[in-house]
Amino acid sequence: MTQAVEAIKLHDTNRYPPGDLAIWIFILAELSVFAAFFGAYAFTRMNNVALFNEFQHHLDRESALINTLALITSSYFVVRAVAAIKENHHQLCFRWLIAAMGMGAVFLVVKVGEYAHHFGQGINLSTNTFYMFYLSLTIFHFMHVIMGMVILSAVALKARRGGYSAAEHTGVETGASYWHMVDLVWLILFPLVYVMR
Amino acid sequence: MSNKPFLGLRPCTWVYITLVSLTFVTFYIGEKEIGGLSIALFVLGIAMIKGHLVGAYFMGLGGLRGLWRWPVSVWLIVPGSLITTAFILSS
Repeated sequence: MTQAVEAIKLHDTNRYPPGDLAIWIFILAELSVFAAFFGAYAFTRMNNVALFNEFQHHLDRESALINTLALITSSYFVVRAVAAIKENHHQLCFRWLIAAMGMGAVFLVVKVGEYAHHFGQGINLSTNTFYMFYLSLTIFHFMHVIMGMVILSAVALKARRGGYSAAEHTGVETGASYWHMVDLVWLILFPLVYVMR
Repeated sequence: MSNKPFLGLRPCTWVYITLVSLTFVTFYIGEKEIGGLSIALFVLGIAMIKGHLVGAYFMGLGGLRGLWRWPVSVWLIVPGSLITTAFILSS
């Protein structure tokens, strides 16, 4: 009887994504907005290919590489944090989350450096269509990274206090899911804006 | 809602190494300033693979049954199709 109940529970947990279901509704809404943004970029480029190719050349691709590696590494650290709490190691979970936020901070610092360079040259949203898309897309994503850092901070503080366990760690999974979404969006944004021509 | 299927740390570590490797491939193509439709779609294909890996392994959707297994994959198809169409039309 107990085995049957456990089997039903396992079947049920295999049907829903990790974390709070509400965050997944939020994630899908956010992903839809970014999908529309990416589509708008691609179709606007269709009528301005020369302009987009010329100004794409002025972007700092090395910074974009560093940022991509930072976000991927950060996402991996979050995976480690989730794995740690599933083993009931809340201090280890806390440390992996701090490491993930460190990588997030690297992303923010590099991006601020890029913006300082652009704004220093007098580039803004109305410079041309390419920069309008580049700045609005990346700043919109930048704000999501900040939001993700705030969420991870809250989760890390609770983890440090022993607020999660192997039995109950929905909060860790919820924060992790949001952070992976931030990474996922950048994985499309990076080639689209910095590489594809 | 805890104790979700976890696809394992080792597969996730391999996924991480794959993601980093594919990122360098994309960067290399960018540095070589290689243009053209086939290269652009190749780069987009790499991005789609990376997105799928993040969804399946890092987000843990690959171990699910039913509808929730697919949202990230479906999402990748939407912008992927839009971008592909726009690049084909502009080539």
